[in-house]
Amino acid sequence: MSENIYAWLLRLYPSRFREEYGEEVLQLFRDRARDEKGFLPRLRLWWDLLADLAISVPREYYHFQPEFLGVSTQRLEGTPAFFVIEGGSPRPGALFSGGMLTLASVIALSVFVSQPVHRRPLKISTTQSRSFASDRPSAFRRQPARATDSARETTRAPGQPAVTGVESKPSEAKVGQPPNAALPQSFRPPHAQASHPQSGQLQASQSLEAANTANTMTRGRSEDATIDEAERHRVIQGAIANLKQHYVYPEVAQKIADALVAHEKSGDYNAVKDGGAFADLLTKAMRDASQDMHLDVVYSQDPLPEHPQGSTPESLARYREAIERNNCAFEKAEILPHNIGYLKLNSFPDLSVCEATARAEMYRLNDAAAIIFDLRENRGGDPDMVMQLAAYLFDRPEYMYNPRENTTQQSWTRSPVPGNKLADKPVYILTSGLTFSAAEHFCYDLKMLKRATLVGETTSGAAHSGVFHRIDEHFGMGIPEVKPINPFSKNDWAVVGVEPDVKVNAADALDAAIRLAQTKLQKK
Amino acid sequence: MPKQKLNPLPSTAFQILLALVDEDLHGYGIMRQVANQTEGRMRLGPGTLYSSIQTLLEARLIEEVGQGVDGKLGQERRRYYRLTAAGRKLVRSEAERLADLLRVARAKKVLRGAHV
Repeated sequence: MSENIYAWLLRLYPSRFREEYGEEVLQLFRDRARDEKGFLPRLRLWWDLLADLAISVPREYYHFQPEFLGVSTQRLEGTPAFFVIEGGSPRPGALFSGGMLTLASVIALSVFVSQPVHRRPLKISTTQSRSFASDRPSAFRRQPARATDSARETTRAPGQPAVTGVESKPSEAKVGQPPNAALPQSFRPPHAQASHPQSGQLQASQSLEAANTANTMTRGRSEDATIDEAERHRVIQGAIANLKQHYVYPEVAQKIADALVAHEKSGDYNAVKDGGAFADLLTKAMRDASQDMHLDVVYSQDPLPEHPQGSTPESLARYREAIERNNCAFEKAEILPHNIGYLKLNSFPDLSVCEATARAEMYRLNDAAAIIFDLRENRGGDPDMVMQLAAYLFDRPEYMYNPRENTTQQSWTRSPVPGNKLADKPVYILTSGLTFSAAEHFCYDLKMLKRATLVGETTSGAAHSGVFHRIDEHFGMGIPEVKPINPFSKNDWAVVGVEPDVKVNAADALDAAIRLAQTKLQKK
Repeated sequence: MPKQKLNPLPSTAFQILLALVDEDLHGYGIMRQVANQTEGRMRLGPGTLYSSIQTLLEARLIEEVGQGVDGKLGQERRRYYRLTAAGRKLVRSEAERLADLLRVARAKKVLRGAHV
């Protein structure tokens, strides 16, 4: 019995010691147990043994010399080898510290993994809009969530302000706005509505890519369900029907229809199984036949609702609250050295919600000698806000081309703005590859009017001028239904983006613009 | 490393070396011999004993001379240990060092009584 206890206690020694002397130690114990009988000697024996353990166990570990056991130390030069340093099972202490270390690593990893999730929408929407510019550049991307907003316009009473598409911006993610929140943004004049009852739709969808949560889009792209021949035929026929019914140029619609049918007959689409790829091919064929970059076919992984519901007063209130909390996307309005006004605007928010804010921010810059609009992170928005801000830059009404609307009285800026002193001041606009949609509208017109100098990078190329039409559950298309007059050039910024006057990296654009402004001001 | 462990020579190691001066002994024999030569003041526990034996073996101050049976203790085979020449030399030098110390202690009249 007592020998068993002592044998168990011997496990405290390093395995190397146990293997070498374990039997001797036990033998010695037996010798002493045999020789030292009686209560007191036995008590003394155990006292000795325990004291011995307390002293010699730590010393064994302290003096432990790693040696290679159990394997031959012969090995080839330069080859990796595995040595067993100690044969026994790990000590309890080692197991404990190993366990704690593992636990700490798991906790640290889970914290680390959970972090980027919060930043993700911002990042992906950034890359996405970049890929959008090069990849699927035209008017819109259809998302069911968006369709809900888009439908409002068709259902609202004439004369009521229409809340249409949403163009969100990366900064919205920063201020914690829920990416999926319905964020109607652009109010459109009622008359445009009357003549084109659906013209708001596309603007709703126009901003799909921007307002969309990035993950939905990513999912849509990566998990495209395969499509069969019947589906392809149905989509082509649906597209042709929509074109003939809605496209503003009926003769071109016929030309596109012929092209699509010819492609289908010659088997060009037979191998295409991926919905997104098929949509891209149709887009290309339509643009090739029409030379109209505003035509677009889109694919949505999520089913498109047949009868989109209008957005609710609640969603409008949510939008209003979110955009007001964000100071209407006016991130910064300040006077830089040399009296250069600097305005960082990350969206063109709803005029009806943000008119007062816009006026206040512009007033802060009213005495500036030059003004820099920083639209490098501007993800678009309400064309009326574009017109509102542009009005400050002219002393008389000026025509602004908008690919989304017929030319009307609203196509002229409401200049002069009372009390405004900026109408004759030099204007610089900072652009990047992210500058998007309504922001490109602002850039394009002010560049064409030679009212502003664009500094930075070529913009995204999102014109968003088509009206969205559902083809079936997963396919939709954008069709221009208006004939705006573009007095500046044959093509606008659809697909190609707006070229800057001074090409520099977006990161260097502010410095470059400040230098340009200073030079200009010194000459005066 | 073993040399460092033995410099200065721990009293346990010195007692073991001293115990082996007269004859080869197994572990339990060493233990009893040490107890005798210290008049029972030093009772080496098994861990301490074999740990020291291991150190002394590594330092080649003692060596294993094979296994044998101690008739007085039954039929179990035991490992016997013997002092090497180096071990014997070390015992002597250590004893001389202690003798020197003792001489100094005497000169300083640190020690009392006639038995020293």
